[in-house]
Amino acid sequence: MLEPTAKPALPIELAGTRFGVVMRPPHYRWDGERLICSRLRQVDDSALAGLEEVRVVVDEDFVGVVAPTIEAARNAAKRVVLTWDEPPAAKAATRSPKAKLTNTSSAAKRDTHTQTYAWPSRLRWGDAPGWVVARADQASLEVWAPTATPEALRVDLSLATGCDAERIVLRDPSGLGFATGLGRHCGDDAAVDAALLAQAVGAPVAVWLDADYARDVRALGRAQCMTLGASLDAAHVTRFRYRQAHAQGEVAAVGLLLCGREAPTRHGDTDRADLYSPYRFEQTHVSAHRGARAYQNDDSTSIQHTFARESFLDELAHAEGVDPLALRQRHLEDARGLELIGSVASQADWAVPVTEPPVGDVMRGRGLAYAQLPDRHQRLDGGVRSAWIADVEVNRTTGDVRLTRLVVGQDSGEQVDTARLQQTLQARVLSKPQGLLGRTPAFDEWDDGRTTAVERASFTPAPAPISKGVETLPERFDDTDFAPGVAVIANALFDATGVRFREPPFTAGRVRQALAMGEAFDGDDATAQRGTRKTSAKLSGTRRWWAAAALTTVAGGAVMAWPFKGAIAPIARPAATLYSAETIERGRLVAAAGDCAACHTVAGGAVNTGGHAFETPFGTLYSTNITPDEATGIGNWSYAAFERAMRHGISRDGRHLYPAFPYTAFAKTSDADLQALYAYLMAQPAVAAPAPENALTFPFNLRALMAPWNALYHDPTPFVPNPAQSDLYNRGAYLAEGLGHCSACHSPRNAMGAEQGGERYFAGALVDGWEAPPLNALSRSPVPWSENALFDYLRHGSSPLHGVASGPMAPVVAGLAELPEYDVRAIAHYVAQQMGAPVEDEPAQYAQAAQLAASSAASPSGQEEGARLFEGACAACHLDNGVPAFTKASTALALNTNLYSERPDNVIHSILGGVHDDAVPGSGSMPGFADSFSDTQVATLAAYLRARFAPSEPPWQQLEQRVAALRQPHNNTPSTP
Amino acid sequence: MTLTLRVNGHDHTLAVPADTPLLAVLRNDLALNGPKYGCGLGECGACSVLVDGVVARACVLTAAAVQGREVTTLDGLAVEGRLDPVQQAFIDAQAAQCGYCLNGMIMSVRSLLNHVATPSAAQIRAALEHNLCRCGTHVEILSAAHLAIELDAQQCKQLQGGAHA
Repeated sequence: MLEPTAKPALPIELAGTRFGVVMRPPHYRWDGERLICSRLRQVDDSALAGLEEVRVVVDEDFVGVVAPTIEAARNAAKRVVLTWDEPPAAKAATRSPKAKLTNTSSAAKRDTHTQTYAWPSRLRWGDAPGWVVARADQASLEVWAPTATPEALRVDLSLATGCDAERIVLRDPSGLGFATGLGRHCGDDAAVDAALLAQAVGAPVAVWLDADYARDVRALGRAQCMTLGASLDAAHVTRFRYRQAHAQGEVAAVGLLLCGREAPTRHGDTDRADLYSPYRFEQTHVSAHRGARAYQNDDSTSIQHTFARESFLDELAHAEGVDPLALRQRHLEDARGLELIGSVASQADWAVPVTEPPVGDVMRGRGLAYAQLPDRHQRLDGGVRSAWIADVEVNRTTGDVRLTRLVVGQDSGEQVDTARLQQTLQARVLSKPQGLLGRTPAFDEWDDGRTTAVERASFTPAPAPISKGVETLPERFDDTDFAPGVAVIANALFDATGVRFREPPFTAGRVRQALAMGEAFDGDDATAQRGTRKTSAKLSGTRRWWAAAALTTVAGGAVMAWPFKGAIAPIARPAATLYSAETIERGRLVAAAGDCAACHTVAGGAVNTGGHAFETPFGTLYSTNITPDEATGIGNWSYAAFERAMRHGISRDGRHLYPAFPYTAFAKTSDADLQALYAYLMAQPAVAAPAPENALTFPFNLRALMAPWNALYHDPTPFVPNPAQSDLYNRGAYLAEGLGHCSACHSPRNAMGAEQGGERYFAGALVDGWEAPPLNALSRSPVPWSENALFDYLRHGSSPLHGVASGPMAPVVAGLAELPEYDVRAIAHYVAQQMGAPVEDEPAQYAQAAQLAASSAASPSGQEEGARLFEGACAACHLDNGVPAFTKASTALALNTNLYSERPDNVIHSILGGVHDDAVPGSGSMPGFADSFSDTQVATLAAYLRARFAPSEPPWQQLEQRVAALRQPHNNTPSTP
Repeated sequence: MTLTLRVNGHDHTLAVPADTPLLAVLRNDLALNGPKYGCGLGECGACSVLVDGVVARACVLTAAAVQGREVTTLDGLAVEGRLDPVQQAFIDAQAAQCGYCLNGMIMSVRSLLNHVATPSAAQIRAALEHNLCRCGTHVEILSAAHLAIELDAQQCKQLQGGAHA
């Protein structure tokens, strides 16, 4: 029964492949010129003594562990103790481009317009999780890595390993050929990590590339900041200034920077041919640091340059109320360019702003960009001119951006296959895994269950796709061809939304975030002012929307401090046909995730009619009727009233609700989910059922006191995903912190009944007479949990190494049964991360379980009374005598977390009331012994169970009193036939 | 709630609450009185039935928990009027005093023989350890179990021989 599940196979077959895990410094970041990072002082790997197969690799500040399996490597990495020195004081602050911008000179002051654009060091962590493998020998290096910038990676690998660049073979694990990217991603970082480890241990090493590498994305920040300034006179640009903040527009792999073999950069201002602008202004100042690196990626520089210049011109045009096309034509002298841009504009039927009104949540916009780049011999006349016009559709709610039309004119002296270019761009810029606009699943998206967890989970190695059946990409174009591609989308996005994006990428999450902020968006710490744009009815529509958002925020602020809330006018119950079946179905899932029915239904009563009693230190509370009955339920609640209750804990009539209703968690729910939940609840049958009066002690019966409580303890901010974490983690965090309100039971509360955070988050608590065990590092489970075990427990109600869900957790599991597998997996993943648990049960855990079961086989001496009670009442089902029986408990008592707890409560509850599987049929049931055992007998039995099955723990004290206390409010009678 | 249970080879559709104990359904709704109500807490074994051929205590199982499974009671052990070898062995060995526990003893031995053709004396004791008998007929019950091994083996042989013939 206790068999570890099969391990996923390594997609790349290499004899003797070993597995590496790298350990980054606690602090490291790119300051624009160099890596500022903690210095490694000492490595203590004594915990690994005796593990011959495990090697710790140290190279300056680069540290990694190599082991025969990935699990062993991960475990070893946890046990190595690294001591780091603080990073050198950040003198870089004075070098930041913003500071420079404000200090700069009179030149900037004379400019009527100034703007800064940025380019990230890593556009994303990668396209999909996968293995990155390196094999090194004396003279050559072979690397399987999904890179978008193979030439840059080759240079990094050569510098890091000392291997001649000619002798480095790069292989693409997907078999599709390397994607031409617009910038680097963490495939390069993983490749250098693998190469350094492989070289050190002399064997092939595989490194797992997944969303964990997003930490590198954050640490490396921006590769380039571009400041543009202009002076205009009568809508004519008289002075144009362009300045690059950094010598290099790209950042080498983290592993290379950490091991300190990166070639030093020389500085010096130089005008550069590849910063060529096709436009003619009266004065043009172009300056850039000239960096001398072994490899200077001019392609990336020109893409960044074109993005900044074309976005800036677009901003100038909008600021001056000039057509962006006309502004460009005004400053173009090149005849071929003028002809091209004119022909593209007429072909695309150019007109901005797009006047079509938004349909539903979808806003439309159109953008233009133009570039002329010198040819390979730095000759401009022979270079490529290209003019782009793009139409986009932006979904305001989801943040999804769709490139609906693209017209590209390219003048390279040869026939240009526009259709093919467009197809390439569709595949490269828009298709899911590879694109600039690559869409990642949103944290509040409800899976329809068609995709399995394995397909979407970030930790499961997916086999490399075979090119057959996959849309084959046309042969690659030079990166320069894509130079206007980023700007054209940024300009179209501005036309659609009125929000200026000054730093790629434009992923759905960032677009949504930017729309929510209603500001120009050039990064997480964006402070730039909102882009201005003139005319168009659509714009004023958009602005109204912003205004509404601002008002909500102000109202939200007011709600927190003002004790007497107004009632929201009652409405007639919304018609059942008001909401679509899809919305109601989504609402059903939201209700299941929030487990509304568990608290709003009394045992044996109609669903959601309330009346369930909650014993709190402040008195007894009763849940209310949330069926759409107009008199006793929520039938006359408008959505506004419902949302206020869910986010701020205020009833429709203005009374404050008590936080036993976990609005503190529900506030994190997204708007879309709350609307769906409202639709679902309103579509349910109305049942009249008045709620019992609460019996709270003074002063807790004064609801108005909740106003200062909320001001102190309630944060009504909706959930914001952490971009450094995987989608799976963010989905799990959204469900667990919000709707799932796990912490409502599993986090201890302070004297005022507010959940504690920080280290006390998930530290366990007593709720409703039961103990909700800790879900963080304090977990007392005799065998440590794994993510898979948590998943089994939440999905099926039981886990072989931990037992069954019982007590108040049983209805939770029953509610989760409604959710798609991916969502339950996400919650398990999130909780496992809080515990620091591994993904799978490891052989050691099974061995430990077997050992615990074996060591409890004998009855302890001196507990004969307890032994007799156990033999009579429990042993028939709870002792494994080697003979199969259907009613035998599937999990040994020696693995029962409750017996290891500091408190006997759950054990006493289980003995008194039994375990009932009506919530999750088949998970196992046990009769209650409340009527057949006296308090003394229950106490004796509990003491015996503790001594026999948790011998490492101290005996429980004052058991009999505890039994008597717990027996009172929970007078569960055993079922009799 | 409507449940469909398969008992002794027949399907029964019942309108009972899902948490009704299986023993109550068997005795009250289906009038199968082989399984006895003893302690009601899974302690004595008098209520034992077979679920998918494995012994189970019907008083602590809900009816919903055995949906889709094959339930066999003492009443259904005999095939075409011919007693099960375990039943025959208990008659031959005169193993009954008051007989209240015998349902559980027989079902437990049947379950054991379903999994181990020739169990050791220790295995028989383990299988019957938590079946209570208050008349003190343990010695006869044990010899009935040993006899059951022989009778069961004989019947197996006959059935195989019959199949060949």
